[in-house]
Amino acid sequence: MNEPEQSPIERPRMDADIVCVGFGPATAGFLSTLSKELLNSDGTAAVESAVAPGLPLQVLCYERADDIGFGVSGVVTKARALRESIPDIDKAGIPMAAPVGDEKVLYLLDPAGASRRPALLRLADGFIRACKWALPFEREALNLPWTPSFLHKHGGMVLSMGQFMQWVGGRVQSTGAVQIWPGTPVSQALIEENKVVGVRLLDQGVNKQGAPGEGFAPGMDIHAALTVVGDGPVGPIGQQLDTHFGMPENHHARDWAVGMKFVVDLPEDTPLKPGTVLHTFGYPEPEIFGFFYVHPDRVASLGIFVPSWFDSPVRTSYRYLQHWMTHPYLWGFLKGGKLRSWGAKTLGESGRRGEPQLAGDGYARIGEGSGSTNVLTGSGVDEAWATGAQLAGAVLELLKAKKPFTKENLDAVYVQRRRGSWLEQEARVAEKSRDGFQRGFVSGMIGMALAGLSGGRLVLPGKPLRPWERIPSLEDYFRGRIPAAEARKIRDDCYARGVSAHAALMERAGWPAIAYDGQLLVSHQDALLMGGKVQAPHGYADHVAFVFPNQCQQCGTKLCVEVCSGQAITPGENGVPNFDREKCVHCGACLWNCASASPENPERMSVAFRAGTGGAHSAEN
Amino acid sequence: MDYQIVVCAGIVPDPLQTLEPVAAATGPALKNEMMLPAVLDPWASHALYEAAILAKNAPGSKVWLVSLGPKAKLQQVMMTVAQKVPFELVALEGPASGFTEAAEVAAALAEAIQAIPGLDKSKLLVFGGWESASRGAGATLQMAGERLGITEQFQGVDQLVAGADGSLEILERIEGGRHQVSKCAGPPALLGWATGSLPEPKNNPQIGMANMRALMPALQKAKPAKLAGEGLKFLSVTLPKQLRATQIVKDKSPDAIAKEIAEWIKT
Amino acid sequence: METILLLAHADAGGALAKPAREALRAARTLNKAIAGSNLFVGLIGENVQAAADSIAACPATRYFGVAGAEFGQSRYCTDAAAAQAIIQAAQATLVVAPATSRWNRVLPGVAQRCGGRIDSHVTGVADADGQPVVNRWYYRQRMEASLTRTQRPWFMLIDPGSQEACECGAGAATVELVPVKLAEAGQRTTVVGIREPKADAQTIRPDAPLLFVTGAGWTKKQADGQAHVEEAGKLIVDFLKLSRASLGSSKSLVDLGGEGQAVLPFLSHLNQIGQTGSTPRHAKGLSTCCHGEEPHTVGWRFIAERRAISLDPNCGWARGKADVLYVADAFAVIAELNKLLG
Repeated sequence: MNEPEQSPIERPRMDADIVCVGFGPATAGFLSTLSKELLNSDGTAAVESAVAPGLPLQVLCYERADDIGFGVSGVVTKARALRESIPDIDKAGIPMAAPVGDEKVLYLLDPAGASRRPALLRLADGFIRACKWALPFEREALNLPWTPSFLHKHGGMVLSMGQFMQWVGGRVQSTGAVQIWPGTPVSQALIEENKVVGVRLLDQGVNKQGAPGEGFAPGMDIHAALTVVGDGPVGPIGQQLDTHFGMPENHHARDWAVGMKFVVDLPEDTPLKPGTVLHTFGYPEPEIFGFFYVHPDRVASLGIFVPSWFDSPVRTSYRYLQHWMTHPYLWGFLKGGKLRSWGAKTLGESGRRGEPQLAGDGYARIGEGSGSTNVLTGSGVDEAWATGAQLAGAVLELLKAKKPFTKENLDAVYVQRRRGSWLEQEARVAEKSRDGFQRGFVSGMIGMALAGLSGGRLVLPGKPLRPWERIPSLEDYFRGRIPAAEARKIRDDCYARGVSAHAALMERAGWPAIAYDGQLLVSHQDALLMGGKVQAPHGYADHVAFVFPNQCQQCGTKLCVEVCSGQAITPGENGVPNFDREKCVHCGACLWNCASASPENPERMSVAFRAGTGGAHSAEN
Repeated sequence: MDYQIVVCAGIVPDPLQTLEPVAAATGPALKNEMMLPAVLDPWASHALYEAAILAKNAPGSKVWLVSLGPKAKLQQVMMTVAQKVPFELVALEGPASGFTEAAEVAAALAEAIQAIPGLDKSKLLVFGGWESASRGAGATLQMAGERLGITEQFQGVDQLVAGADGSLEILERIEGGRHQVSKCAGPPALLGWATGSLPEPKNNPQIGMANMRALMPALQKAKPAKLAGEGLKFLSVTLPKQLRATQIVKDKSPDAIAKEIAEWIKT
Repeated sequence: METILLLAHADAGGALAKPAREALRAARTLNKAIAGSNLFVGLIGENVQAAADSIAACPATRYFGVAGAEFGQSRYCTDAAAAQAIIQAAQATLVVAPATSRWNRVLPGVAQRCGGRIDSHVTGVADADGQPVVNRWYYRQRMEASLTRTQRPWFMLIDPGSQEACECGAGAATVELVPVKLAEAGQRTTVVGIREPKADAQTIRPDAPLLFVTGAGWTKKQADGQAHVEEAGKLIVDFLKLSRASLGSSKSLVDLGGEGQAVLPFLSHLNQIGQTGSTPRHAKGLSTCCHGEEPHTVGWRFIAERRAISLDPNCGWARGKADVLYVADAFAVIAELNKLLG
C-alpha cells in the first residue's frame, strides 16, 4: 500500500547480493545459518559476491526500529530450532534467559463482576466457587490440574526477545559476513515484470505527508539478486507482495491479536522462581488470554492478547491489561513490583491459513508474515527462526550450484524443505484448531482441545470473518448494560475532548477505576514514557494514514482510536482521526482494527500502515 | 588546508532509559547496564557531525572516532552511527560507565590517539563533547589534550569557522546565553562541542558500507584500557529523593489559577 | 597537611563575582573541617588587588596573584599557565574554584599538568573522619555520589548556586604576585570578543527568580483540532517580558525547531533543559504543556518551588515532582496571567 511516485526522483542505487527486510527471529535464523558458511577461516570468501567480485557475498539487512531488539516481545519457547542453530544456547549467558520450570494454566474468575461471560461460563464459575474447597483454587483462580501436552514447553526457554535479538545480532555481525542496519526502514520492494529486484529505503527529510523538505534524502534503491522478506505480520513489504502477487487460494490473514506486555521488577520476597510459566484465560474477558513468564533476578514478562474474535467496538489492550494485572491471583505476585518496560505487538493469528506465496522470482518470505506461527501451541519464535534457517540452507544450496533465485529454484529448495519439516506437520494440525472461536469462547476452547488431542483430525468448524465484518455497533455491544443514547453520549463527549472512549464506557459498564500507584499502575502515557521510552526521529513521513477519509467520516465505531496501543490515534476533525507519530509503538493494531473495508481490497481496511522509524526504545521486551 | 580530526566519543545509555545505581565489586555501576540500549554520547555525536562537515569542506581531511566501551555495545552503537558520516573507528575495550575516572579515561584516549598511524600534529584537531551524559564531568577531553600537548583548547563550542589562512574562529558558550568568540591560529587544537546547530545527518547506506569495512577489524583489534579507579573511593551513590506531595488543582477557572500563580510569582 | 587554595578570576572591574564567593564558602567549609589545614587564595586577572581586598577579612592567610592584560581574558593557555603557577607557588593540595565556563574549560587540564585529579559539578563539600569528601552528580543529574580521593592536588569545581556566597568583608590584602612566563607556542589564540544573543532570544536569565518551562504541548493541536503556534509564541514571549522569567524548553520542542518546522522560532538548544540541556538553578519554576518522566524532569532538578499547568491530571512531569499541578489549559491561564502581570 505504498503511494505511487508523484514525480520522478533521482535515487541513488547500491548493489548487494542479498537484502533482508526486518531483523526479527526469522531473519536472525536466516543470517545465523548463512553467516557460518560465507567466509573461510582465513577470512577469504567461501561464497563470492556477484556484485563485488573477489569479495565475499554482500548480505545486508535493514531493520526499521531504531536499534535491533526494540519492539519484539518476551516468549516461552521449546527452542527446538534455536538449539539446532545454536547448540550452546543454554550456556550462552543470554540476559534474561531461563530454562522453563513450573508451568501452570489458570482459569481466572471474574472478581469485578464486569466481565462479559456467556451463560455456560457463569455456570462453571458458580460451580467452581461452590466447590472451591475441593479444587486447586486460590485467589479467584483455578489451577487446571491437567493440561494437554501440546501446550507444554518443558525443556524450553523463557526469553526476552529484545535481549535475545541483541545477543544474536551482535553474534551474527561479529562474523563480519553480514551487516544489520537498524533505524533504516524499507519502504517498498522493487518489482520489475513480476520479479523482485531489490528494495527501496524510506525517504528522509520529508514532512508528515512525505513531501520533500529541508535535507531531503531520497530513499536509496538497493538492488539484490534475492530479497528476503521477514518484516512480520504487519510489515509493509509483506503487504505489498500480498497485494501484488495475491494470496494462494483460500488463504487469508483475517485473525489477529494485539499482545501487550509489561516487564516488571517483582517484589523482593516473590515466591516465583525463574522459568515459571503461567498462562491464563477467562478474565478480564473470556476471550483475552494472559501470560506471565519469570526471568532470572526477579524479573517477569507478563501481558495479554486481545484477539480478533473478541468482538468489541471499544476493545483496548492497555485498560484490559491493567484489569488483568489487578486480578487477585496475579496481583498477589505483582503488588510492590515496579514497571521496567512496556510494549505492544500485533500477532498474525491465521497460522498456515495466512501463508502467502512463500517464494517468487527474486524473493522469499520467512517468519510470522509467512504464516509460520503455530496457533494451536501458541508458538511463533521457534517456528519463525526455523523458516529463516531453512531458507539459509536453501540459499547456500543454490549459491553453491550457481543457480539463480527464481521461483522455480526457491520452490524446489526452500518451500520443499519447509513442507517436509516438523514446522509444516505441526502447522497442519493447528490450521483449523481455532475456528471454533468464530462461534464463541466456549466452542473455541473445545475446538482447540479437539484439534490438539486428535492431531488435527477433529475440529469444530467456523468461518473466519474479515475483521471489518465482525465489529458490532456501540449500541449493540453495550445493550443491556448502558442505554444506547447514554453510550453514544459518553463516546461523543470523549471524542469532543480528543480522547478515546473505552475507559469511560467500561467504567459505566461496571469495571472499577484503576488506582494509579506510580510504580506499576500508571497512566497509558506514562507506560509509553517509563516503560516503552517511545520516541520518533524527525524528518520522516507519517506511517499511519487514513486512506479513505470519507469512510472515516461515516465510521461510527472509531475502533482504531480505541485500540491504539500508544494513544497515537485520537479523534480528529470531521471524524477523521489524528495520528501522532511520536507516540506510535508500531504494533500495527490499526491495520486490522478498522470497521470499514477498503473499496480496493475487501481483505484490507481504511487504515494504511506503512514503513516508519521510531517506536519503543526498550530492549527488554 | 586539510585536517586530521580525531573525535573522542563515549557510549551512554539511550537517553530515556530508567537508571539506577548498584554497588558492584569494582565500585558503583548502573543496574542492568549491559541490557540498557546504548547510543553515542549526544554531545560527542554533534562533535562527530561537525567533524564530518569540516572534513567534507576541506578535501584531504580524515576523521577518526575513538571510543571506549564494552566491545559488544560498541559494535551495536556503531551500526546506528556508521550510516551517518564517514569515519575510521579506533576502539578501546573497557567499561563505558560514568563512574570510571576521567583522568584514566583521558590517558587511554591520548594513548590511542598517539598510536594512530600517520598522525600529523600540525593538522590535528581533537573533538569531543564538552560533557557527557554519563560522567558529565567535562574534564576528560582537557586532560587528554594536555597529554597530547595541545594548549589551544575550547569548550562549549557551538560553531567553528575555518578561515582561508588556516585560522579557526570558534564560538564558545559562556554565561547568560552568550558566546565568546576566539581566533586560533590553526591546529593543533581541541574543541569540546556543545550542541552546535547541525541537524542529525541522514542515514546513508553507502557510507555505512564503506565504514563497515574497517569497523569489524577495529573492534577485533580493540585493546583493553586500564581503568582501575586508583585513589578514588565512592562513599555512596544514590537516586535523589525527589517525590513531592503534589497538590492537584482540578476545578479552578483559568482566571482563578492565573491569580494564584501571579501571587506566587510575586512573593 | 592540606593546603586549600581558592582559585578565582577577578572580573573586569577588579571585583569577585558571586560564584567565586560561593566557591570561597566551600573552601572555608573544608578549611574548618580539616584540622590544621591552610586556606590560601589565588587570583587571576588584569588586576587582582581589588579582588583580594574585597575578601581580605576572610580567614585566608596568603593571597597569590597572577596579573597582566593577557590574564584578563578568558583563554585556555594563559589561564592554565597562571593557575599552574599559583598552585605550585602555594603548594596547594586541595584546589577549589567556581564552575564558571572559564574555570570549567581550563581546570581539568591544569589538574593533568599538576598530576592531580579533578571533580567537576561539585554541589557539596564535607569531611569524613577529617578527610575531604565531595558530592557530585552523575548521568545528567540523575544520581548523586559522595566520594573521596587520595591523590593530590585534588581539584574541585563548585557549581554556582550550590553554596551560600561568602559575605566576608573587605580590607587590605597582601598579594604575592607570581610571575608567569608564557611560551610563545602557547599564545596562538586571540579573544575576539563576546557575541550577545539575538534580541528576540534574550530569554535565558540565569539570575531570574523564575524558570518558565515550555513543552511540546504548546505546538500540538488544541481542543478545536487546530494548532495555534503563533498564539503560543506570543503568549510565551509576553509572559517572559512581563515576568522577567528565564525560558527553558523540553528537548522535543527544541528539536522541532531544529527541523525547520514552524514552531516557536525564538527557541534554540540554549534554552533546552534536561537531557542534553542544562539543569539550571532558580527559586521557582513554572512548567507548561510538558509531559515526561525521568529523565525529562531532570531539567528542574534544582528548582526549589515547582508548579505545573497541564491538561493531564496524571502527568508524570508534575505528579510527585511539582508542588502544585493545575489541571487547565495553559493557553487560557497564561493569557489571564499576562493580563494580571501587565
